[in-house]
Amino acid sequence: MYHKTTGYRVFSYFNYAFMILAGLACFLPLLHLLAQSLSSKAAISGNMVSFWPVGFNVDAYIKTFNNSNFNGAMLTSIIRTVLGTTISMFILTCAGYALSKEFRGRNVLMWFFIFTMLFSGGLIPSYILITALGLKDTIWALVLPGAFGAYNLILLVNFFKTIPKALEEAAFIDGASFFVILSKIYLPLSLPGIATVSLFIMVGHWNSWFDGILYMSDASKYPLASFLQTVVVQSNMQNMAMSQSEVAAMSEQSIKAAQIFVSTLPIILVYPFLQRYFVKGIVLGAVKE
Amino acid sequence: MKKRTDLWKMVSMVMLSAVLVAGCSKGESASETAPASVLKDGKYDPPFTITIAKQQDENAGKYINGETLNDNVLTRWGEENLGIKIQTTLLGGDASQYNTKLRLALTGSEKLPDVLPVYDTMLVNDLIDSGQVKEITEDISAYMPDRIKEIYKQYPTTFNPVVREGKVYGMAIAPNLTEGEVMLIRQDWLDKLNLKAPTTIEEFEQVIAAFTNEDPDGNGKKDTYGFTFSGKDSYNTGWVSDPVMIFSAYTGKHLPRQWYNENGKLTYGSVADGNKEALAKLRDWYAKGYLNKELATQGAWDALSDFTEGKAGIIIGRPWLYDSVKDVEKNVDGAKISAYPTIQGVNGDKTYQSAQLNDGVFMFNKDFQNMEAFFLYYDKMYDAAFSTGDFKYGYAQGYDYDIVNDEVTFDPTKFNTPLEAVQGVGKMAFTKNTPSVDGPGQSFYDLANGVEADTGVLIQSASKDQTTQDGYRISYENRDVLLPNEFNGPPTPTMQNVWEQLTTMEQETFTKIIYGNEPLEAFDTFVKQWHEKGGDTVIEEVNDWYNQASETDVMTLMNLK
Repeated sequence: MYHKTTGYRVFSYFNYAFMILAGLACFLPLLHLLAQSLSSKAAISGNMVSFWPVGFNVDAYIKTFNNSNFNGAMLTSIIRTVLGTTISMFILTCAGYALSKEFRGRNVLMWFFIFTMLFSGGLIPSYILITALGLKDTIWALVLPGAFGAYNLILLVNFFKTIPKALEEAAFIDGASFFVILSKIYLPLSLPGIATVSLFIMVGHWNSWFDGILYMSDASKYPLASFLQTVVVQSNMQNMAMSQSEVAAMSEQSIKAAQIFVSTLPIILVYPFLQRYFVKGIVLGAVKE
Repeated sequence: MKKRTDLWKMVSMVMLSAVLVAGCSKGESASETAPASVLKDGKYDPPFTITIAKQQDENAGKYINGETLNDNVLTRWGEENLGIKIQTTLLGGDASQYNTKLRLALTGSEKLPDVLPVYDTMLVNDLIDSGQVKEITEDISAYMPDRIKEIYKQYPTTFNPVVREGKVYGMAIAPNLTEGEVMLIRQDWLDKLNLKAPTTIEEFEQVIAAFTNEDPDGNGKKDTYGFTFSGKDSYNTGWVSDPVMIFSAYTGKHLPRQWYNENGKLTYGSVADGNKEALAKLRDWYAKGYLNKELATQGAWDALSDFTEGKAGIIIGRPWLYDSVKDVEKNVDGAKISAYPTIQGVNGDKTYQSAQLNDGVFMFNKDFQNMEAFFLYYDKMYDAAFSTGDFKYGYAQGYDYDIVNDEVTFDPTKFNTPLEAVQGVGKMAFTKNTPSVDGPGQSFYDLANGVEADTGVLIQSASKDQTTQDGYRISYENRDVLLPNEFNGPPTPTMQNVWEQLTTMEQETFTKIIYGNEPLEAFDTFVKQWHEKGGDTVIEEVNDWYNQASETDVMTLMNLK
């Protein structure tokens, strides 16, 4: 029995130790953040908080939820995530289903999409395009540009390809249309793939901050990630050295911590429910026909 | 098959129309032309709109009462009282995002806002090059109100970055000499060890040695040290956690990372003689444990946490720094902070510090025709600084001041509706910092000399902590040590190529010497290499720029003499 050998045991202990360390490396920063969000301002500015709150209080959370801008940004982010994921998944499943079939010009089309993965116009042309289309200052500027992601398309196409052709033929014989086949057969069968890609898109939308700052000229339209970016990142502080009263507020680390923590919660909560699909969901051409 | 094509058609139609609808609605509002507004009794009728660009970092999320960027107590005030509506059409978060957005707007994809605050000298230069900003020499002469002219007259060098061939393309944002730096010391430690606040480098060394070795906090452990500062980005932070005093003790007015006008020629401070002695001193202190062990990895804002925690005894910074470190008086029983002037140099002269005169410049869209409206509004912004008009106490009652029981208060916790921090209402308009004419702290100096607090500015100053007030008084008394950087132009061509390498080399050499990783002689090598690797050309170009900027007497052209 190979797993009784010393070598195997050493390896497996090492494995456990490594996984525990890796796990801690992910978990401890979050714990530190939580402790900060529940600590007093004095303790934080004195660098006294590690993993346990010092001077316990929940003021930071009360202030966070009483802040209309935070709540507004949260709402924008939720709308953006739901809308963006819906649009993306609609386009991607339609395109993915079609591209999983053999037809003339399929490869040309596929390369056409993959080309966008490798080369993009860059910031300036994208910005000019969005501005010229009049999408600036609307939620569409956040959900439309990234709606069709070639990488996600490949994932879905590969997943659709694993579904036996015979199923589709049988359905045709029973008189089903393409759309019925897609919705009644392909979608239920490829749930792991759909869930995985959805999660990618959701997390992407939730975390993306640069486009919010780029395309919105009113801070009240910022999604949560952009809002947090402006609050948390202490930008060129020397520039504000002239003002006095605001400086004290800069050290309100506990509020920042609370806001970051609250904003990560939704993703942390969604993740366990989708995680079980992951192993099956990511099949990037592992099996060739 | 028929069915499928129909479905696709439908879907694509829906998507397309969504885009078109969004496009049209936006397009119409943008092309709307403003009706001609007339100025009557200090008010425009009908109200007209000034569009602005704004870098909004520290203010984000701090509006109260559900107010927003384009609808708040100050914008409403402007509309009601002046008939001027301020509307932000270009908004950026931190400095780099803001600059990116300004550059994107320069591509012509959208209309440039009327008023553009610009904080980057390179961008100032590019904006002038683009031909999209207005030349305002005449406008300043014609429309700038007299009391503001008086302010700009004091700071002629602030026009240097915006002058091109004798024409003026912008003006400094609310110029005013910043407050100077003070030394904050743990008074309880001094008292316990029977020491006096240091005034010379020898005394300074004695104090930080005692703070390190004689257990000032009395816990029986050797866990304290003398002096905390930041060496992460530069050895001249210019505001808090600054070690520049030690360098200046040996180099006088040649400060690291700064240009100084020595007999009509600009020189660069980091390569001046004397830096070597300063580095030798810091190296010695570092080896003995008197300094922050992690000084090279801690930014200015991080370096103060040791002080707040009660581990370090001395920190240098602007007087308001007390506000940020006073938590040590909460964290540690008996802790007490006092403010002192910085020490003297080795030759008995004062030590010098860098100062700021302004934070960026205003530039204007070349199509903006209402400079008189801008100046009308700008002048009102100054009401708070002069304690006159609608803003004699502050910008808005219940926001940055309040009147409780007939007394003006600036303490946000005592407001009729208490706030956690006062609102920077002045920053809601187009200035990032509220205009001030208080210089390095004149109001505090006046208060200390018995002037009664009867204006908004004085009352506000009197409401600060005593240590902060002391700091500002010291700052004002020593205002002659403040040296603004003489080079405030765009990076020169050679600078764009080599400046980053040169400053990196400088920072690494200084840090390695202090950490004891390289011998002191490394400084000589650094100076030699600095000159060889482009420094000489940079000096030449910087001086060319300086001569060019001061060639035409633009101050007379703007009627500011």
